[in-house]
Amino acid sequence: MRLLHRWSLWALALGAIIAAIGPYFFKTSPEEAVAPPFVKPVWLAKDAPPSLHLTITEEHLERRFLWEYEPPLRFSLKGAMRFEVPPEVAQIVWQTPKGTMVLYDASKKAESRIDLDARDVSFKLALGLSPFQNPMPHLFPATGEYALRLESSEPPAEISLALQVPGSRWGLLGTDQRGRDVFHLFILGIRVSLLVGLSATFIATALGLAFGLSSGYFGGIIDAVIMRAVDVLLSVPTLPIMIVLAGLWGKGLFNLILILSAFSWMSTARTVRSMTLSLREAPFVEGLRALGAPSSYILWRHLLPEALPLLLANIALGVPGAVLAEAGLSFLGLSDPRLVSWGRMLHEAHAFGAFTSGAWWLILPPGFGIAGLCLVFLDLGRHLEEILDPRLRRKAL
Amino acid sequence: MALKAYWGRRIASSLLVLAVVLVLNFFLFRILPGDPVSAIIDPRFSPQAKEELAALFGLDRPMGEQFLLYVKQMLTFNFGVSFLSQRPVWDEIRSRLPNTLILLSSAMAISALLGIYLGVIAAAKRGGFIERLVLWAGAISFSFPSFFIQLVMLLLFAFAMPIFPLRGSVSIPPPPPGWPAMIDYIWHMVLPVSSLVILGFGSWALYVRNLMVKVLGEDFVFLARAKGLPQRLILWRHAFRSILPPIVTIIFLSLPGVVSGAVITETVFSLHGVGRFLLESVTGQDYPAAGAAFFLLALLTVACNLLADLAYGFVDPRIGLERKMER
Repeated sequence: MRLLHRWSLWALALGAIIAAIGPYFFKTSPEEAVAPPFVKPVWLAKDAPPSLHLTITEEHLERRFLWEYEPPLRFSLKGAMRFEVPPEVAQIVWQTPKGTMVLYDASKKAESRIDLDARDVSFKLALGLSPFQNPMPHLFPATGEYALRLESSEPPAEISLALQVPGSRWGLLGTDQRGRDVFHLFILGIRVSLLVGLSATFIATALGLAFGLSSGYFGGIIDAVIMRAVDVLLSVPTLPIMIVLAGLWGKGLFNLILILSAFSWMSTARTVRSMTLSLREAPFVEGLRALGAPSSYILWRHLLPEALPLLLANIALGVPGAVLAEAGLSFLGLSDPRLVSWGRMLHEAHAFGAFTSGAWWLILPPGFGIAGLCLVFLDLGRHLEEILDPRLRRKAL
Repeated sequence: MALKAYWGRRIASSLLVLAVVLVLNFFLFRILPGDPVSAIIDPRFSPQAKEELAALFGLDRPMGEQFLLYVKQMLTFNFGVSFLSQRPVWDEIRSRLPNTLILLSSAMAISALLGIYLGVIAAAKRGGFIERLVLWAGAISFSFPSFFIQLVMLLLFAFAMPIFPLRGSVSIPPPPPGWPAMIDYIWHMVLPVSSLVILGFGSWALYVRNLMVKVLGEDFVFLARAKGLPQRLILWRHAFRSILPPIVTIIFLSLPGVVSGAVITETVFSLHGVGRFLLESVTGQDYPAAGAAFFLLALLTVACNLLADLAYGFVDPRIGLERKMER
């Protein structure tokens, strides 16, 4: 098999494997915010603070850590504690290199639930700041050793506190406007692009095959009607029709596939028709007719198998068109908002200000993903064509 | 006679496309959303206004009569009132049409001329820098989504290096009319047009190159070389002249794609054009506006197709020959 020596076949296989199992390697759901919005990838922002998670339990009433970065963007402390009797003094203390402050005072309370966030006005007021001030430089005034601890007159019966400081860098490709992991979305996006590209092309090819065969074989009025339809569809701008259809019918994935395939069968139909026209007059078909074979038999058993290998290359060369059209419609916001696709990612990047934040990691990966997928199929299709039609091999291109 | 028959056939087929578009438009917007009245008349209108509009559109009459009325209204550009802006749709579209026309025609002209020129040069000097450039540009235009290239151009030339504006077609506040306004407009159009050119010229050049490579191997070119004609004359007067008809064919095959590209380009660059108007009307469920914008885009394509067909009659020597022989 000459195809096995082609890089595009292996790239396609790799893509299919990633699409099939890739998303299962992520622990979180793709919808979950893992870090603040628009944070940079880890490998790009080595000085940006990483995520910090500390827990305070009965065994560890104090946590110390070294902070060598800029102040982070967010800070939250959540949890609960309980004492056997209300304690005389119980304070959650935040120690910075420049002094200590009390984050929460639980004195004389047997049970307290703690839910602090640096964005809360009450928290800012408790720290002695104005509601409009950013508390983060206050909480992280310098680099050095920090500590979070419970100072109480007696040990608590139960305590479980979690300090969360989301970092300003995340993963391989950073985060988007909702703080989602872009790398995760990127891996998920392969699925929709591959699924839509392949299935729309399959349906379109089947339609083109059916119309082309019947048009070429039967001729007459059928041929005239089908070829007129092809002419009309080829001279009408398809994207506006697709926009109108997607807008009126709803934005489901299935609708998208149907719409795409309804407007991309025409060139296949033309190719198949011209092939059928020449085959129809071939001696073996004439012989079949003389033997009394019904048209359906000739079409199914003799003409269809002749056309199929030709269509293999046609499918591969048609996928880029479908992938690009899907991406275009998704980019215009006409795809299912619950489904992650590369076009959708670019739509959100454009609509939610990836530009004003300079978040190129939201724009480049899906774009290159789409282009890569198209190149793979173009190369595969051209190679299939060469295999099936050896005359093409002599050409330079 | 032959030329007349050819033009007659072409005009008839354009009319057929137009008829199909009208039928499609009529049924899409009237049948799909359920109640036809709600598709044409804003539900927020007062009952009296609804009745008046229903009478105006003839919604109380049978389907066939409605269709005829609809066709008459479409052909006289009487598109009704937009739901979103409450202004006549035609006024909305008229303010947007020049932008779309200028964008499409300049992008199309520049990319076709550049593509044809580079394609001929690439075929003349096989293996040179130009040929590699053409092959790469072709690969990019076939595999990269258009809006992605445009987004990257925005990111580079409007955000990272703010040479060009990020959005829109006029500065805010608008400059004084006359030359400043003109220059401001051109400044806004540079990025959209050049992005369309970058995306478009590759496929043109690739196509022309492939045609030229084939033609340059033919006997009449060999003869021209043997006569000792200069290279430039052989290329342009002999070889290029013979591939003009297929180039004109590809012009009108590419027109629908160009119009489709307008929707995306206008959205990316936030231009005030018909394509973006269509998208906004569809997403805002402004059916009269969406129908009108769709109809106009289709009409634009059909008209350009017809022009290309007529041009074909001039560049194809066989049609001209028939005309001369007839005389």
